[in-house]
Amino acid sequence: MSAEPDKNFRLEQACASDDSIQQVHAQLQKTKPEKKEGYPLLPLGILGLMCTVVFFGSIYLAHNSIRFDPLVFSEEASREKPGALKIVPLTRAQLGKKTYDMTCIACHQATGLGVPGQYPPLVGSEWVLGSEERIVRIVLHGLNGPITVEGKEYNNVMAPLGGALKDEQIANAISYVRASWGNNAPEVTPETVAKVRAETAGRNTYWTAAELEQAGK
Amino acid sequence: MNSTPDNGRTEQMEIDASAKWPVLFIFAHALAWLIVGGALELASVIQLHTPAFLATCEWFTHGRLAPAAQNALVYGWGFNAAFAFGLWLMARLSATTLRHGGWLFVAAKFWNVGVFLGVAGILAGYSTSFELLEMPRFVTFLLLAAYAIIGVWCVTTFSIRNTENVFASQWYLFGAAFWFPWLYAVAQLMLFRAPGRGVLQPVVHTWYVHGLYGLWFVPVALAAAYYLLPKILGKPISNYYLAPLAFWWLAIATAFAGGSRLIGAPVPVWIPTLGTVANFMLVVPVVLIGLNLFGTLAGRYASLSGSVTLRFVLVSMLAFVFASVLNFAFSLRGFAETAQFTLLSGLRDWLIFYACFSTAMFGAAYFIMPRLTGQEWRSPALVKIHLGTTVLGVGLLTVGLAWAGWHQGRLLNDPALAFTDVSKAMVPWFTFRTGGLALLLLGHAAFLVNFALIAYPFNLSGTTPAQINPPPDLSLSKGPALEVLKA
Amino acid sequence: MKNGLALFFGVFAALALSWAGLLLTAHRQIGSLSQFKDPADETLHPQPMSGLASQGRLVYQDLGCVTCHTQQVRREGFGSDLARKWGQRGSYARDYIRDETVLLGSSRTGPDLRNAGNTELRAYADAGYFYQLLYAPASVAPGSLMPAHAFLFDVHPVAGRQPSALALKLPSKFSPGPGLEVVPTARAQALVAYLQSLKDTYDYPIERSRNAPAAKPKEGGH
Repeated sequence: MSAEPDKNFRLEQACASDDSIQQVHAQLQKTKPEKKEGYPLLPLGILGLMCTVVFFGSIYLAHNSIRFDPLVFSEEASREKPGALKIVPLTRAQLGKKTYDMTCIACHQATGLGVPGQYPPLVGSEWVLGSEERIVRIVLHGLNGPITVEGKEYNNVMAPLGGALKDEQIANAISYVRASWGNNAPEVTPETVAKVRAETAGRNTYWTAAELEQAGK
Repeated sequence: MNSTPDNGRTEQMEIDASAKWPVLFIFAHALAWLIVGGALELASVIQLHTPAFLATCEWFTHGRLAPAAQNALVYGWGFNAAFAFGLWLMARLSATTLRHGGWLFVAAKFWNVGVFLGVAGILAGYSTSFELLEMPRFVTFLLLAAYAIIGVWCVTTFSIRNTENVFASQWYLFGAAFWFPWLYAVAQLMLFRAPGRGVLQPVVHTWYVHGLYGLWFVPVALAAAYYLLPKILGKPISNYYLAPLAFWWLAIATAFAGGSRLIGAPVPVWIPTLGTVANFMLVVPVVLIGLNLFGTLAGRYASLSGSVTLRFVLVSMLAFVFASVLNFAFSLRGFAETAQFTLLSGLRDWLIFYACFSTAMFGAAYFIMPRLTGQEWRSPALVKIHLGTTVLGVGLLTVGLAWAGWHQGRLLNDPALAFTDVSKAMVPWFTFRTGGLALLLLGHAAFLVNFALIAYPFNLSGTTPAQINPPPDLSLSKGPALEVLKA
Repeated sequence: MKNGLALFFGVFAALALSWAGLLLTAHRQIGSLSQFKDPADETLHPQPMSGLASQGRLVYQDLGCVTCHTQQVRREGFGSDLARKWGQRGSYARDYIRDETVLLGSSRTGPDLRNAGNTELRAYADAGYFYQLLYAPASVAPGSLMPAHAFLFDVHPVAGRQPSALALKLPSKFSPGPGLEVVPTARAQALVAYLQSLKDTYDYPIERSRNAPAAKPKEGGH
C-alpha cells in the first residue's frame, strides 16, 4: 500500500502475496493468538453464545412444533396428543340427506321448494312441520288429489314409499326435511314410523288431504 | 512453498494470463446482463406505480416482466460474476493456472444462451411460477451442463493445487460450487419432473431459494471478503481460528432455514419452526464472521480512503450483517405477521443479492481487472460515480424500503382499510424505489463504460500500463511494521 | 481443513442433512395426503377443478399472476386475512392436494386470491366482475395498481351482427367506443373459470379440531 493513498482509484496495490496469506492463515488456524489483556474472554463469550442459541432454539422447537403433526399448521394449537378419534355420531337429519337425495329430490327439488303448480314445497310447509304421524302416513302410503300447501293448491300424485324404504330411512329423511332450509322441527324416530306403519298396516290406497285432516293429530 | 518474490510474481502473472480471456469473457457477459436485467427491473418497478406502462404488450405485462428481470439479474449477472471471480480466485489460491480455458468459453456461452432462452421464455409466457425457478423446463439441462463444466473446472483447479494450505475463501468457493447444482437439480426434480403433492412444493421451493441466496451468493461474497481484506490491508484475518467453525455452522444452519419463509403458510408447523430455529442458529456464524472481517478492518479504516475495493467490501460486509439481522427478524412470528408479503420480504433477498454479493463482486472486479489486462482503470470519475451511486443507492433503498415495507404490512393488517387504499398509500414508495434503482443503474452504466475501456484493446492514448508491485509476504505481526512497506 | 475429500464429505453432508431432515420428512408426512370423505354425504374433498378451470390455471401461470397475488389464507389471529374476507378459515395443506402447481405466492401487491370465487364471501364476484377487472381494473377497483390485461380480449365492431353473448358491459368511460364490443378470448374465459373455481369452503373436521387454539394458557414462563 502506498504511503499516500491513491485517490484516483486507478489501481489497487496488494499488500500480501497469495502464498503468504495461505501460510500465515494455516498457522493461525492451528494456534490461537497470544493472550492479551481481556482476550481470553472471547472464546468464552462465543461458547456462551453458542450454548444460549442452542438452548433457546431447542425450547422454541419443542414448544412450536406441536408433536410434528402433519395436519397442524398453527403454532397455537394444543400440544396434547389428539387421542383416539372420537366417532361423532351424525344426527338423523344429516343421515337423512342421503335418502332425500336418492328419492324425494326428484319432485321436491334440492332446495325443498318443489315446482310451482306441480309439486308442493317442503320449506315452511304446515304438513311438514305439523304432526309427525301425519307426515309419516303420507310417506308410507302416498297422497292423491287436491291439497292446499301454504295457501296454494296442488293436485298431483305422490307415490307410496313404505315398501321401498325402511323405517330408519323414512325417519331420517323426514328429520332432514324438518331441519333444513329454515325448517326447525324435532326429528322423527324410527319407532314412530314403525308405530304408524303397524296402525295403517291394512291400507293399500293413497291418502287424500281430506282423510288426513279427518284422522286428526 | 516459500518462493522468492520474482518466482512468485512470475507464477502469478502466469495464472493471471491463463485466466485472462475466460474471466474477461464471462465478466463481459455478466455486465451485459447487469444492464439488461437492470433495465427490465426498472421497467417492472415503474409498472408498480404506473400500471399503464407497457401494459398493452402481452410480453411486458408485469407478471412476466418482473420474474424475467429477476432471473436475468440473478442467473445472468449474479452467476456470471460469481463464475468469473470464483475461477480467478480458485486459480490464484491454488497457485495453478486455469487449464484448457477454451472449454470455459463453451461453458459460458451455453450458460448465457440458456439464461437468454429462459428469460425470453418467461416473457413469452412459459414461466413455471416458482420464484427464481421461473425459467421454462427446457433450459434446465443447458444450465446444468454449462455449470457442470465450470464447477468441474473450479473443483479440479482446487484438487491440483500446488499449495499445502487451504484458505477460507477456498472452502467457501468449494462449498458453493457443489451446493448450487445439488440444490438446483433436486428442486427441478421435486418440483417439475416428479412434482410433490400439494404444499410439499412450496417447502422444496423455499429450501431452494434460501439455499440459492445463503449457500451460493453469500459464500462467494464471503470468499471475496476473506481474500481481499488481508490482500489489501496486509493484515491477517483476525481470530482466524474461528473461521472453520463459522463455515460449517453457516452451511448447516442455512440449509435448514428455508422453512422460515413459510411462517403462517398451510404447511405442518414444524417446518417454519425448524426454519426459525435454524435462523436463530445463524446468529453464531454471523457473529464469528463479523469478528473475522470487522476485526481485520478494525483500526484500519483510514485505508478505506485509498481503496475502492475495500469500500465496496465494507458495504458488502455491512449488508451481510444487516441482511442476517433482517433474516433473524423474519423468523420471529410477530415480525413476520406484519412484514410478510411486503416490500420487506423483497428487501431481505435484495440485501443479500445486491448489497452483499454484487458489491463484493464490484470490489473484486476493481482489484482483478488491472491484473488481468495489465492496464489501469481509465476514468477515476466513472469509478467515483459507480462507488457513490452504489453507496447512496444501497443506503437509501435499504432504509426507505424497510420503512415502506413495515408501513405496507401495517396497512395490510388493518382490515378497515380497503385494499385499493393500501395500494394508493404505497404509490409514493414504489416511486421512491424506482428512483433508487435508476440511481444504481446509472452506477452500473458508469462501470460498464470503464470496463469496456479497460478490457478492450482500444488504441487510445492515455492508457497507462498497470504497474503492479510484487506484494510482500504477510507477517503474523500486525501494526506499525506495515507502514514500512512501500509501493 | 486441508483434505479436499474431507471438505467434500462435509459439504455434502451439510446439504444432505437438510434434504433428509426437511424435505424427505415433509414428503413422508404430507407427500401422500389424500382427499377427505365427508361422513354424511360421502363426497370427497377437495373436489377437482373443471377442465376449463385447469386451463385457466395455466393462463394464470403464463401471465405470472403469482408475482403479485398470494393464495394462502392465514389463520385467525395471525394477520387480518379473515377480517378482509379473503377466506372463511385459514388454508389447510389438504386444500392444495389437487393443485398441480401450488401457487402460494410471496407478495401481496394485490389481494389474496384463494377464495376469489367464493360468492358466499363476496357476492359481487361473478364472471362479469372478473372480466371487467381483467380488461380495465379501474372500472371495478378505482385506485388499483393492477395492470390492464386488454390483450386477453378481442375488441371488434359489432357491424350489424348480433352482439356477442359474452360481450362485456363496461361503463362508458372504459368502453372502447360506439359500435365496438369487447369479447373475452378463450384464454380469458379459462382464466375467469379458474378464478371462479377458487374457493375453500369445506371445513375439514380433523384439521379444524387439531388446529383449534389450545384451551389453557401455556404453562411455565418461556
